[in-house]
Amino acid sequence: MPEPLLETPLLEKLERLTIQWQKSLPGLVGGHNTSRFAGAGQEFLDHRHFHHGDDLRAVNWRAFLRLEKLFLKMFQLEPRIPVRIMVDISKSMDTGAANKFDYARRLAAALCYVGLVRLDSICLQPFSGKLHDAFLVSGGRHRFQPASNYLAALKSDGRTNFLECARQFISEYPQRGLVLVISDFLDDGECEKPLQYLADFGHELILVQVWADEDREPPWEGELELEDAESGQKVELAFDPDARAQYTAAFDEYAQHVRTVALRNNGRYIGVPTSVPIEQAIFGAMVNSGAVA
Amino acid sequence: MNFLNLGLGELLGLMGAVSAGVVALYLLDRSKRKQLVSTLRFWAIADVRTELKHRRRIQQPWSLILQLVSLALLLIAIAGPQLGVFDVNGRDHVLVLDTSAWMGSRAGQALLMDQAKASARAYLRSLPNRDRVMLVRADALATPATAFESNRGTVEEAIQQSQPGASALNLRLAFEFADRAQKLQAQRPGEIVFVGAGRVAEEEAALSPLPSNLRVVSVGTAQENIGIRKVGMRRSTADPDSWDIFVAVRNYGTRARTADLGLQFSKAPAGVRRLTLRPGTEEQATFTYRERAAGLLEVRLNVQDSFPQDDRVVVQLPPLVTSRVLIYSNEPQSLRPLFALNSQVEAVFESPERFDPNVKEGVIVLDRFNPPVLPRTSAIWIEPPAAGSPIPVRAKITQASLEKWHPETPLGAGLRTKDVTLESAEVFVSSTGDIVVAEAGGGPVILARAPSTGGPKQVVIGFHPARPSMKYELATPLLIANVLRWMLPGNYRRWEVQAGTVGTVTVPIEANTNPAQIHVLDESNRPLPFTLDADSLHFFSGAPGTVRVQVGDREMVYSLTLPDVAEAVWRAPADVRKGIPRAAAVEAGVTVLWPWLAVLGGLGLLADWLLFGRSRAFRLRAAKMAAPLMQWRKAS
Repeated sequence: MPEPLLETPLLEKLERLTIQWQKSLPGLVGGHNTSRFAGAGQEFLDHRHFHHGDDLRAVNWRAFLRLEKLFLKMFQLEPRIPVRIMVDISKSMDTGAANKFDYARRLAAALCYVGLVRLDSICLQPFSGKLHDAFLVSGGRHRFQPASNYLAALKSDGRTNFLECARQFISEYPQRGLVLVISDFLDDGECEKPLQYLADFGHELILVQVWADEDREPPWEGELELEDAESGQKVELAFDPDARAQYTAAFDEYAQHVRTVALRNNGRYIGVPTSVPIEQAIFGAMVNSGAVA
Repeated sequence: MNFLNLGLGELLGLMGAVSAGVVALYLLDRSKRKQLVSTLRFWAIADVRTELKHRRRIQQPWSLILQLVSLALLLIAIAGPQLGVFDVNGRDHVLVLDTSAWMGSRAGQALLMDQAKASARAYLRSLPNRDRVMLVRADALATPATAFESNRGTVEEAIQQSQPGASALNLRLAFEFADRAQKLQAQRPGEIVFVGAGRVAEEEAALSPLPSNLRVVSVGTAQENIGIRKVGMRRSTADPDSWDIFVAVRNYGTRARTADLGLQFSKAPAGVRRLTLRPGTEEQATFTYRERAAGLLEVRLNVQDSFPQDDRVVVQLPPLVTSRVLIYSNEPQSLRPLFALNSQVEAVFESPERFDPNVKEGVIVLDRFNPPVLPRTSAIWIEPPAAGSPIPVRAKITQASLEKWHPETPLGAGLRTKDVTLESAEVFVSSTGDIVVAEAGGGPVILARAPSTGGPKQVVIGFHPARPSMKYELATPLLIANVLRWMLPGNYRRWEVQAGTVGTVTVPIEANTNPAQIHVLDESNRPLPFTLDADSLHFFSGAPGTVRVQVGDREMVYSLTLPDVAEAVWRAPADVRKGIPRAAAVEAGVTVLWPWLAVLGGLGLLADWLLFGRSRAFRLRAAKMAAPLMQWRKAS
């Protein structure tokens, strides 16, 4: 039996959290985030004129007796929005002393559990060069174990191709919803355009960038022979503290770029190094960003 | 060249091993490190210098060469190479360290001894490594602490363990010893170095001749000191219950001082005297203190000076010993003047009927009667009845002239009479071993017998000493005193207690004293060697302690606890080398290269770090500097 991704004490702490989204998305009744769409909700939203075919149960009969006109009461909808968690399983995630792949799986498991506790429907969607088989889970916390086993069984493989993955995602999931992308965002191409596609399609983006410490600030010095984990490309170079500073600045600039993509589309960005414990990442960076509350 | 006792071949081997290690470390440091990374996109952005595919096996060869050359220079510097006349054997020096009592005096916050140790160590450091040093500790004796040692650690440890002694410095002896040691044991004699204050006896203040290779490292300056030189105590001849105490105090300083001299006996004040001493003079004070009991007598000089060790003396005084003399007589008033006035005996008069046969101590006097049993202690029989006399009576004579005294015997010492006619007297039969004291009527009338087995002594007196014929003779009390002294030698021992300084002690004795009667014993009752002059005895004590000198019935106790502070300060003549030499002076004619090599090696390593180290700026600069060299290399 594989080792559980999350310990029981952490799961108990996660039960008080809720996945939050900002957009008003249509969906079935039963969610916990309000929407600007009217529907069969509990909270009064507005009145409108009655039209033929409207439900007579929603007519405000008191207003009719006073004004002799038919007005219809509208209620605020609290839709159940699909939450899709995209987990990067490319080879670049499997490098570094503190493994980003493991970290990403644990982070996905934690978010999955938070969603299940609030009766959200969670779709775990691994990806690398393409979308892999997804795992859909809903129905409460007792369905978490299959999801955890699914994540634990994932293997890192392939090169990241955000563009192809975005194209497949849009075609496979026509219903708009919340998309959490857990990745290092270190592909050879630009990830901005695919992410923008997803946002333009109507999905709300929460980008979680995971990096190892050596990804941001390589500790090595001297003559290096570097090999790209995904492409296998090699390069020989000399590395010194000045170069390290430039490298770190470039990495930070790239992370800022990813963040800009998220914020520009009313999404959220969370950057967490793998040296930060999972619990601290969730209750610190993710809570502060508003992704969970 | 001497590198940790390694030969040239071994040094080259070591250098080769170090160089190999450096090259290995260099190659390891410069070797490429393979690393798997998530992406290569930021490495290009970081503006890192990508090397050509045609890499040379050794990168930055000038760095390697610079490091190797620098390390070689440092290794050679450690070897200590020299230019000039190379003295292979080195020289043998004798370091004479003053450990006299005066070195325990305080100079500022430290002792003179500490200053001397520091100077001795400084002299050691100034010597070349190949030179050998013998450390000699000099006080009254010259004691070698080490042989000629090339190991500086051994000599420094011996210096560190040196402590001030109790005797004065005998500089002549120390120099003679050092000179002799160099002549007998040194391969190449070096210097004789004296380190100390040089406080010596007055007769040594102008010491000459001095060793030609002498060097003097003086420590300390003129210091004020006033101290006790000697304390003497003896029972007063006029009153045996009293002690006559004699104290000698000396001012060693350069200005007049006033000091209070106090006596305490068993913590009770016994006397005080204020003394004013001019510079370099000695004052004496006498006290009389009446005391029969034993106790500790403390003589203290209440003064603040740099050498407090000679400001206090404590000596133990013996008690006045008395013994009981039990006199059985029907006419005690006639014998009372002979016994009761003697302070060393306690005379008790009893009638003959109360004779106690169980008395085992003291002396019994039997006046003209025979006890039922013989006494169990020494006894004086006065005119014993012939029937029970311990010594047989040959005849009883009347109106007999006292013919002869025997002053050669201890009982007859100093006795003589003239024209004495005894009213009546008993003549005894002497046997072998008996001591005849006086004769009359052709035989002994006073006879002493001391059993060889150590039993009670017997003295028989054939006439009554209180009869008119002898009553007013001076010989009568002297005879009784001689008899009591012979029977109770411990009571009549003459005690003299002296507190003095260690070293050679001279004891005045009577001329022609039999050496067999002289015993010089230390605290453990072990005999000490001594010499005899005509009228003096000499012995030497190098350490503080108590020495007892027994000469006949005299016992002199010498409490040698005072440190011996010499009176004068020896000043080295002007032609004697002084101070600690510089290392360069010691190695006259030899150019020492190691500092220059060490500096060059260090500069080389610094240049390597600056030019080829981690700093990018310096690395780029090095690349520019190396470019012309590389072109030259290609051209060649």
